Amino acid sequence: MDLDVAMRIASAGMKLQAARLRVVSENLANAESTAPTPGAEPYRRKILEVTARRDRETGATLATVRRYGIDRSELPLRHLPGHPAADAAGFVRFPNVNPLIELMDMREAQRSYEANLNAMQMARTMLQRTLDILR
Amino acid sequence: MKATLGQALAAYTAAFAHGRGDLAPAEPATAGGLSFGALVRQELASTKSALARGEGMAVAGLLGKASIQDVVEAVSFAELSLQKITAVRDRVIAAYQEILRMPI
Repeated sequence: MDLDVAMRIASAGMKLQAARLRVVSENLANAESTAPTPGAEPYRRKILEVTARRDRETGATLATVRRYGIDRSELPLRHLPGHPAADAAGFVRFPNVNPLIELMDMREAQRSYEANLNAMQMARTMLQRTLDILR
Repeated sequence: MKATLGQALAAYTAAFAHGRGDLAPAEPATAGGLSFGALVRQELASTKSALARGEGMAVAGLLGKASIQDVVEAVSFAELSLQKITAVRDRVIAAYQEILRMPI
């Protein structure tokens, strides 16, 4: 049954976007999470790695989370001599989270979620309308 | 499909009995593939599993073990499966009543 499978694919897509929003809010919330001591690592931005997985039961290709990766890009430095994590020169390494990028990612997650939601609703409507012929 | 209505009704009751776990009696197979009885039985079995899945997902969702998307998908598919099977049943009953009203 293709419409049933379509609903399952859309549901997997919605789950993926939910995971994406989870990562975005984690990044946004930890945008200022510095290390407790000078040598330690501050919070690093997380990245969602997406992969296509074949569902054995239905034969459909579902979008799923492969793993939660870490952004290895450079950490910005801020001059805060009084900070407990400041080094000898008074610089503190801050998380490499850019709120603007996170906001754009959030928007994208929202739109993609809505698209999947529409696909699911459409599959449901098509099934329902077909059944209505019998009535 | 060349099955007569009597056959169809018998097949339906047989399949229904089968769905409840009773032993289904042998039924005549129609020429050309799947008989109506086999079709109904197959549909009943798939509806049963869809309902079980929907129920299981709803419970898992309430316990926080399944995502809301999975719950919605499973429950709405179970609902549609049930609607499908009741629509077919209503059709068969309507046809039977139509025959009962026939002047002899």
